[in-house]
Amino acid sequence: MANWVRVAADGDCRVGMLKGVMADGVPVVLANVEGTLCALRDQCSHENYPLSDGELEGNEVVCLYHGARFDACSGARKTLPAVRPVQSFPVEIRDGEIYVDIG
Amino acid sequence: MSDTMTTTMTETIATEGVTDALNAAAVERVSLGEPEWLRERRAEAWAVYERTPMPTTKLEEWRYTDLRTKLDLDGLRLSESETAPDDPAAWPARLRETMEADHEASGHIVCIDSHVVHTDIDASLAEQGVILDSLHDALESHPELVQEHLGAVVPAEDGKFEALNAALWNDGIFLYVPANVKLDLPIRVTRWLSEPGTAYFSRVLIVADRHSQVSYVDEVVSDDFADPSFKSSAVEVVARDGAVVQYVTLQRVGRGTFVQSAQRTLAERDARIDTLNVGLGASVHRVDLNARLLGPGANSEMLGLYFGDGSQHFDFNTSQDHIEPNTGSDLLYKGALDGKSRAVFRGVIRVHPGAQRTDAYQTNRNLLLSPGARADSLPNLEIEADDVKCSHGATVGELDSEAKFYLMSRGLSRTQAERLVVLGFLGEVLSRLPLGGVVEKVVGVIEEKLSQHG
Amino acid sequence: MPQNETIQDLNLDEYKYDFVTTAEPVFRAQKGLSEEVVRQISAHKEEPQWMLDFRLKALKVYESKPMPTWGGDLTDLQNVLDEIYFYVRPQDRMERSWDDVPEEIKDTFEKLGIPEAERKILAGVGAQYESEMVYHSLREEWEKQGVIFDSIEDGLKNHPELFREHFSTIIPIGANKFHAMNSAVWSGGQFVYIRKGDTLDTPLQAYFRVNQERMGQFERTLIIVDEGAQAHYIEGCTAPVYSTESFHSGVIEIVVKKNARFRYTTIQNWSNNMYNLVTQRAIVEEGGHMEWLDGNLGSKLTMKYPSCYLVGEHAHGEILSIAYSGDGQHQDTGGKVIHAAPYTTSSIVSKSISKGHGRSTYRGLLKVHEGAHHARSNVECDALLINDTSRTDTYPYIEIEENDANVGHEASVSKIGEEQLFYLTSRGIAEDEAMAMIVRGFIEPIAKELPLEYAVELNRLIELEMEGSVG
Repeated sequence: MANWVRVAADGDCRVGMLKGVMADGVPVVLANVEGTLCALRDQCSHENYPLSDGELEGNEVVCLYHGARFDACSGARKTLPAVRPVQSFPVEIRDGEIYVDIG
Repeated sequence: MSDTMTTTMTETIATEGVTDALNAAAVERVSLGEPEWLRERRAEAWAVYERTPMPTTKLEEWRYTDLRTKLDLDGLRLSESETAPDDPAAWPARLRETMEADHEASGHIVCIDSHVVHTDIDASLAEQGVILDSLHDALESHPELVQEHLGAVVPAEDGKFEALNAALWNDGIFLYVPANVKLDLPIRVTRWLSEPGTAYFSRVLIVADRHSQVSYVDEVVSDDFADPSFKSSAVEVVARDGAVVQYVTLQRVGRGTFVQSAQRTLAERDARIDTLNVGLGASVHRVDLNARLLGPGANSEMLGLYFGDGSQHFDFNTSQDHIEPNTGSDLLYKGALDGKSRAVFRGVIRVHPGAQRTDAYQTNRNLLLSPGARADSLPNLEIEADDVKCSHGATVGELDSEAKFYLMSRGLSRTQAERLVVLGFLGEVLSRLPLGGVVEKVVGVIEEKLSQHG
Repeated sequence: MPQNETIQDLNLDEYKYDFVTTAEPVFRAQKGLSEEVVRQISAHKEEPQWMLDFRLKALKVYESKPMPTWGGDLTDLQNVLDEIYFYVRPQDRMERSWDDVPEEIKDTFEKLGIPEAERKILAGVGAQYESEMVYHSLREEWEKQGVIFDSIEDGLKNHPELFREHFSTIIPIGANKFHAMNSAVWSGGQFVYIRKGDTLDTPLQAYFRVNQERMGQFERTLIIVDEGAQAHYIEGCTAPVYSTESFHSGVIEIVVKKNARFRYTTIQNWSNNMYNLVTQRAIVEEGGHMEWLDGNLGSKLTMKYPSCYLVGEHAHGEILSIAYSGDGQHQDTGGKVIHAAPYTTSSIVSKSISKGHGRSTYRGLLKVHEGAHHARSNVECDALLINDTSRTDTYPYIEIEENDANVGHEASVSKIGEEQLFYLTSRGIAEDEAMAMIVRGFIEPIAKELPLEYAVELNRLIELEMEGSVG
């Protein structure tokens, strides 16, 4: 079931940047991959630290704490120490606002 | 594991956890009419509280219990109830039922919302000098004894919650057993919490003088609360040379409450202090228990039992400090976890330099009954003497299917067989401290929980 | 053996790797760690731009991470790091023939017994001296079959795709501070690729030697064991004893593919003024089998926890760890196993001996992720304390998210049994020898897994160390 939540204004997450937001109690990290917005759960699947503390390298989110990497849009894991993917959410921009479907 | 420690926070945010209800004015109010030394202690404790940051998961001891999501101090108010009447007829039915299920006792205390509303003690014991009283009354009747020990065993400096309790406790229990006096029957304490959305602070101080003997059972009960509540306690137990103390606590509060308990036992020469922590209720139950073996020949048996279901979260943080030679400790914590419940056991045996001929053991066993349950176990050893016997063990596993199938082959249903296996697993803990009343109550609650297991 | 001979032996031979060779390096970077040093290393190696970028990125991560506050005592480490040379290039090229290795360096490895080892028909031998591999050889038959056994630099040059596919994916830069440091300044180490289905019936062997004073060694090894292949790799480490402290921070990444089997054996016998902070991690795919056999005997402080990430069904991980800590030594070692797939199994066995003021710590993680049903694991730690000034700690972390799993951890600490000692001495065995016999019995389950020459070496060390330990 779709549950679209407004999380930020368009422009709050610039190209190449990450931004941590809360969507109805769910921590979400927005990633701007060369102009395309993606959203993942803001918790590394390794030890639950916020991914938004880390950085975006190309299309990969790098966790600050132990270096785990994930595809910024699909959440697929790219390196250890993560062994599981991170949940990803659909993103839409409507009327200059960023919405995330947390389901 | 340890890699995360590289990110340990160094900055401290001052005055974390100071709220509309928990603040210096509240400390001032609770100290009204108290002796000067106690007022000073409360003020000092409050200062410690203010400057101590709220524990985060970056601290080893709080690694698996994230207070940001589990405890909201901002939403709490302090207990508003005035002292309830010492009239059993006016007590809630569940409180009375709880007491009726008890066996004989040497004395009773009843607390409602951390006010002591009733005290009785066997007359012959009172004549021999046994003191069982509320802390407030004991402050007036036995000021020296209370002043000597209160806050000396669990000081405010131990941590954020210890400081908060030392600053804001509004009542507590004082038990003193004079030298050579032996109580045949336990002291039974029954507590009832009635107010949702409330923070409760109480303390227990037990001093067993030389070669005395006493058992103490403390049970807390409440309904489920829709508004989150917080129950904090500090437990101080001192056993002088040759004394024997049994301390049992039975936590059966409803969902919605965060139960936090800081306990320390001091066993002097040839003394024995056995403890049993039973966790059945609450949303979150955190125990910090430190047993200190301070004199040669001192011993401590440390038992724990927990059964989680729903989204309950248990966190037991224990330590066994062997400071003098020829001391012993034996810890056994066992738990079963159903639903999406979770248990954390973190224990350490410390054998200090010179504590030769220490015998110290530590065992944590967990049974995971459902796919969503989770257990974390960290049994640690720090040994600085060589003539020791120390070991620890931890297991996490599913139900023993062999035992289950055996029972089923003897005609029991799957559910019956599972119940028997779980009870047998947890029963080992109870059989090591078989106090009347406690065993039946615990088994009753476990059976009730198991009946809801699929 | 007559008593006087033993004593003479002892005096001559307390730490037999304590000799220095006077070989002048061809290049030495300035002291300490800086961007300049990192750029120099990369330039010397004529690396592609992506590797220089990787190094510079790692340097930033290294600088941003605080010193660990757990584990061993690292309070003096920054001072040591400020004084050491991060890159020392002993010669300009790597030799494939032993005769071509410069006399002084050859002399060093002759003393360590490398030519001798090679004669014992190893599959391949590599030798690192200071910051570079100086010698590499692989038996012809394996070379012909396409086994790659090379210095890490040549791996990057000659097999860029295979290299880049795996490099730093097992241990990313941010894993920990010292891994980030290694990522910035790595030099030397090996690149090994065992092809699908190949079984190397004799081990590959590498020797790591630090010769110069104030020297840091940062080798980096990447090993890929393809589907169904089998191999065994052994590394040995030594250094002379200097009055100043040295530093070693190696990184070993291993990929064990489907149904492959691999064993990595380390016998670390660094001198007692070496900080040895090593990261070793293996990813094990379906049906794969990984074993770490980790012997830590030397160094001032070792912090090292070999890991197995079991990501495929029926993968198996095993860690056998033995630590010896004498006066002034702290071995903070252990292992980690992460069960991330169903039917995975693992075992950790750790034995430590602490003597005098020595301290041995076991630190380990056993994790079973949700969904890794039918995971089974067992951990056993035993610590032996020889003196009342010795110390041992055990810090196991057990995290279980799956109910259909069975894991157990047991640890015990004991003193040398007085009954055993009494029994042996009453049979006319000298007390020192009796002690050595008991210790040998204690480590036997692990020692028997070692190649013969290392087992002999270990036994000899124990005899030396037990001398004078009674009373």
